[in-house]
Amino acid sequence: MIRALRWRTHTAAALPAALAACSSHVPNTTLSPQTEFGRDIDALFDILLFAGVAVLVLVTLALLFVIVRYRHRAGAPEPKAIHGNAVLEIVWTLIPAVILAIIAVPTVRTIFRTQAEAGPNALQVEVVGHQWWWEFRYPQYGVVTANELYLPVGRTVNFALMTADVVHSFWIPQLGGKRDLVSNDTNHVWFTPESAFAWNGFCAEFCGSSHANMRFRVFTVPPEQFERWIAHQQSPPVLGAAAPPAGAIDTLAPAPPAPPQATAPTVVADSLPEHVRAATPIPAGLRMSNVRGDAARGAQLFMRATPMPCAACHAIQGVAASIVGPNLTHVGSRTSIGAGLFPTDARHLALWIKDSPAMKPGSKMPAFGKSAQIPAGLDDQQIADLAAYLLSLK
Amino acid sequence: MATTVAPPPAVAVPASRYERGLWSWLATVDHKRIGQLYLYTAVTFFLIGGLEALIIREQLRGPNGTLVSAETYNQLFTMHGTTMIFLVIMPLSAAFFNYLIPLQIGARDVAFPRLNAFSYWVFLLGALFMNASWLFGAAPDGGWFGYTPLTTKAYAPGMNIDFWVLGLQILGISSLASGFNFLTTIINLRAPGMHLMRMPIFTWMSFVTQFLIILAFPIITVALTFLQLDRFFGTNFYTTAAGGDPLLWQHLFWLFGHPEVYILILPAFGLVSEVLPTFTRKPLFGYPVMVYSGVLIGFLGFGVWAHHMFAVGMGPIADSAFGVTTMLIAIPTGVKIFNWLATLHGGSIRFTTSAMFAIGFIALFTIGGVSGVMHSSPPADLQQTDTYFVVAHFHYVMFGGSMMGIFAGAYYYFPKITGRLLSERLGKVHFWLTFIGMNLTFFPMHFAGLNGMPRRVYTYAAGQGWDLENMVSTWGARMLAVATLVFVYNLIRSRRQGERSGNDPWGAPTLEWSLHSPPPEYNYAVIPTVRSRYPLWDLKAAHRSAHEPHEHDGDMPTLAPETLAPDTPPPTARQLGITMPTPTLKPLIASIGLTAIFVGLIWNKSLPIMLGGTALFVVALYAWLLSPLEEHEE
Amino acid sequence: MTHAAHASHHYTSTGLDNRKIAIWAFIGSECLFFGSLISTYLIYKNRSLVGPFPHEAWTNPQTGETVKAILDIPVTSASTFVLLMSSLFMVLAHAAVVRGDRKYSKIWLVSTALAGTVFLGFQAYEFTSFVHEGLTLKTNLFGSSFFILTGFHGAHVTAGVIWLLTLFFIDLKRGLRPTDAINVDLCALYWHFVDVVWIAIFTLIYLIP
Repeated sequence: MIRALRWRTHTAAALPAALAACSSHVPNTTLSPQTEFGRDIDALFDILLFAGVAVLVLVTLALLFVIVRYRHRAGAPEPKAIHGNAVLEIVWTLIPAVILAIIAVPTVRTIFRTQAEAGPNALQVEVVGHQWWWEFRYPQYGVVTANELYLPVGRTVNFALMTADVVHSFWIPQLGGKRDLVSNDTNHVWFTPESAFAWNGFCAEFCGSSHANMRFRVFTVPPEQFERWIAHQQSPPVLGAAAPPAGAIDTLAPAPPAPPQATAPTVVADSLPEHVRAATPIPAGLRMSNVRGDAARGAQLFMRATPMPCAACHAIQGVAASIVGPNLTHVGSRTSIGAGLFPTDARHLALWIKDSPAMKPGSKMPAFGKSAQIPAGLDDQQIADLAAYLLSLK
Repeated sequence: MATTVAPPPAVAVPASRYERGLWSWLATVDHKRIGQLYLYTAVTFFLIGGLEALIIREQLRGPNGTLVSAETYNQLFTMHGTTMIFLVIMPLSAAFFNYLIPLQIGARDVAFPRLNAFSYWVFLLGALFMNASWLFGAAPDGGWFGYTPLTTKAYAPGMNIDFWVLGLQILGISSLASGFNFLTTIINLRAPGMHLMRMPIFTWMSFVTQFLIILAFPIITVALTFLQLDRFFGTNFYTTAAGGDPLLWQHLFWLFGHPEVYILILPAFGLVSEVLPTFTRKPLFGYPVMVYSGVLIGFLGFGVWAHHMFAVGMGPIADSAFGVTTMLIAIPTGVKIFNWLATLHGGSIRFTTSAMFAIGFIALFTIGGVSGVMHSSPPADLQQTDTYFVVAHFHYVMFGGSMMGIFAGAYYYFPKITGRLLSERLGKVHFWLTFIGMNLTFFPMHFAGLNGMPRRVYTYAAGQGWDLENMVSTWGARMLAVATLVFVYNLIRSRRQGERSGNDPWGAPTLEWSLHSPPPEYNYAVIPTVRSRYPLWDLKAAHRSAHEPHEHDGDMPTLAPETLAPDTPPPTARQLGITMPTPTLKPLIASIGLTAIFVGLIWNKSLPIMLGGTALFVVALYAWLLSPLEEHEE
Repeated sequence: MTHAAHASHHYTSTGLDNRKIAIWAFIGSECLFFGSLISTYLIYKNRSLVGPFPHEAWTNPQTGETVKAILDIPVTSASTFVLLMSSLFMVLAHAAVVRGDRKYSKIWLVSTALAGTVFLGFQAYEFTSFVHEGLTLKTNLFGSSFFILTGFHGAHVTAGVIWLLTLFFIDLKRGLRPTDAINVDLCALYWHFVDVVWIAIFTLIYLIP
């Protein structure tokens, strides 16, 4: 089903139309593989499913037959005492053994095929799990980003999986995984995306409070778009490019629709299908007053916000280099914030800065909004400035 | 079990306060009373664990649920798993071990009656300890599997995991103590003539279970001890910064955890294998194969643990090896299912509630078994592990298997325990609500999992294709909640008002049904001599013209007819001059001392409490060991 | 212990005392307990990030100090010998109780306990000197897994010494009769098991570099 819905277009301009047509009701299904890795597994799964259903149907029919046929009837004679039948018992020991042998052979073959070394031309991506977000590095290109993966169609990608803290698990149901991110160890998984589309990724190993909120997106794009994306990521952020002249953004208004750009290197959030659109409701009780942010002031605040500058944790190419939190170099061009939770717009960014733990349980980023507990915190104007700045980092 | 004649009882046994009231329960060493204590305690925790499940399901009813917070949800699913495994299914099995094993093997009590009481009290205190965490708002929240380093102090600084680690340590002591006890009981206290291949199949499966308990629990004890030392005394076993390996915990945990699965399911296999022959009026088909397959499952159960870890990157060789051993275990399990079907075949099936649960068990456990084989294949498991597919799988095994088997056993043995039948009318309501509710709850989870829904998530986004499955599951859970209330109501009501059952309401074949219901404290006035697997049926063989004595009978006569107890109330032990173990509070006191040590540890490592607990434990233990089991020795 | 006398009157399927079966089950369980501890030690062998190390010297990169290989095999060989001898004493004590020899039962019981105590003394000395050389529970993976493994073994020896002394005091008070032999037998099984575990530990941890 998904196969029919894949991105067929090769130009970003045509994407919205293609994506609008996508409304599968099972957008994360594991049963419609889109990589050779997925197809290997799916072929095995088909054998297992067929054998399993066959056994289940036979046993269930046999059970139904005996309980109907041999139900107690008034006046029926006592049943014969049968203590066993060696031949029968050997037969039904052997039948499952044969079925299992049939399963075991392709199983072992698939294990060795999927766990072989990736090819030499593979795109290398390092995945670092953090509570509760994903760091993605492209060491061949010197690119670091967070929570959104861009992969070229048709090129094998080899993931090196590591964790900065606890065990996580890397899983994109339709493409590949899952493979755990284990401390003091590096795991690998590789696959080759076959079609251009937008996919969901999840953390599949319980990792604490916001395990459920440790999501990511994967955009498989045509190779030439991938090249443009890489070039864009390698360049420093284009400050204020998309912001109104004074850098003013109304924090309560929805983000102004970005003009469709035929050559846009990144995916435009509005054009995404529903299943990869960040739409978590804002938790009750969070307030942000309606003020206009100024990106220039925000840029200064980034370096010296109180109680702690943003730069203490976050990197922006050419500005700051800390690696505690997600790299924000092109945060304004990502479709979502908070590891796939909220759309990237001024309002959500502002609320996130104001009280991240309320937006995402357990968030390691402290609340920055001024309050009784945090008297040195930022006021709504300062938060709006920061949001405007971040949003301008296209 | 004394066969010696007691001195005049009026002098020796100041028994009255031990026979009635609260005191009689606190001081009891009677396996039947202890079995009932396990039963009532476990049913209570079943309600608590069920409530936790219901809240989980309400939270997940639709996307972006806000009924509970992420932290509360994580506590709920951790405690739901921990409760259902350690405080419900294991103690429910223990209730049957306690009540039935001595009766089935023709013994007057277990090998170590006071140790048995100690096991129960330690279990109860451990369960209360674990659940006391709710009062501090710090219920365990690291999952029942407690993966490190998430559960180390660096990532879980609160008391939550302390409660979990120490609670499981306490419960482990209880399980080990009862494991040694039942193992000894089954090896050593079988009535004359009951050689191993004449043992009732429930006792056999329990026997295998005890082996698993005593061999698996030391491993989790070590794993938990490391975590406890890391958390309380700063050792480095799981400290990743010091080079600690998260896989050490995973291997130790699953080396315990997989045999634990069989600890949970084998007793249910045993119960179903008792129930089916009675209600088909046919012996169990292939008894020896049923025994051997149970033994084989227990044995292979120690060689498959890493199938819980196919995603951790063990390498293709380990993955293949554990995949294949896991598939192997399906063979003896399949044989059991076929043999149960063959037992039904040609029978005269009476659809009592007990039989319906046993048949439901076969149907549902088969589904769990099939989905189990589906993730025995490591590559396929990569798409299934940590998704709702696995949640569906093990609930079919644990609920469709263990709990359905236990329900079958409960309806079957309730009359033996109380002398009254559970209401069949309510029982059938219970069965149908459970059977339908269970499938509504868990079957859609297969689809949710295959459609990409990860496990242990307190929330999920809209538009992921999981909404319908989750809503159906939640309605199923509500149905199961109603079913459980019906069952509990039936238990309470039938205890007082149930129809009187007589000694053998089902026409059952095994020894325990020869006794009065409920059995007198000494069980058997005369220890029976056993000559076949189905002594009571052989006794009644006169009117069973079709009966063929089976191969092991030879030409032996059967159980002596006078063995069958009359329906009149049995005489007391004193009237018969049988000396039974003296009730004593020492095991209870020792268990309080033992638990106090753990309380002190969590109470800011309070030395006075820990030392006080140790002193109490040691004094009670010495008093216990140096005092005779039976009063007349003094 | 006083009920040992009539315990033998009870019918049992195997003819053995219940406690004999139970102690074997207990020992089987303990095998897995020590097996897990020893496996952990072996898995973590050579994986400590900092020293001291058991079999090789280590130079602290910060201070430049060198700590020599920490295990002192000659001293531990001596303590191992003492523990092995205690098993011999245990056999003699059991034999004395079986034949009703009250004098030698007391002598050998207290000798076994004494040898166990000497072993514990060696262990206390070893632990103290390790701590002086900079190896504690918290230092590295080796410290954690070594102290916990040998510490648990030491705790088992301690429990055994208490058991032996309990038997000894019962012997002093009222004398152990041949019918009490089962109690000494149980203690002996436990003691020999603890001894065997030590041989495994000594071989795997001390002797194999």
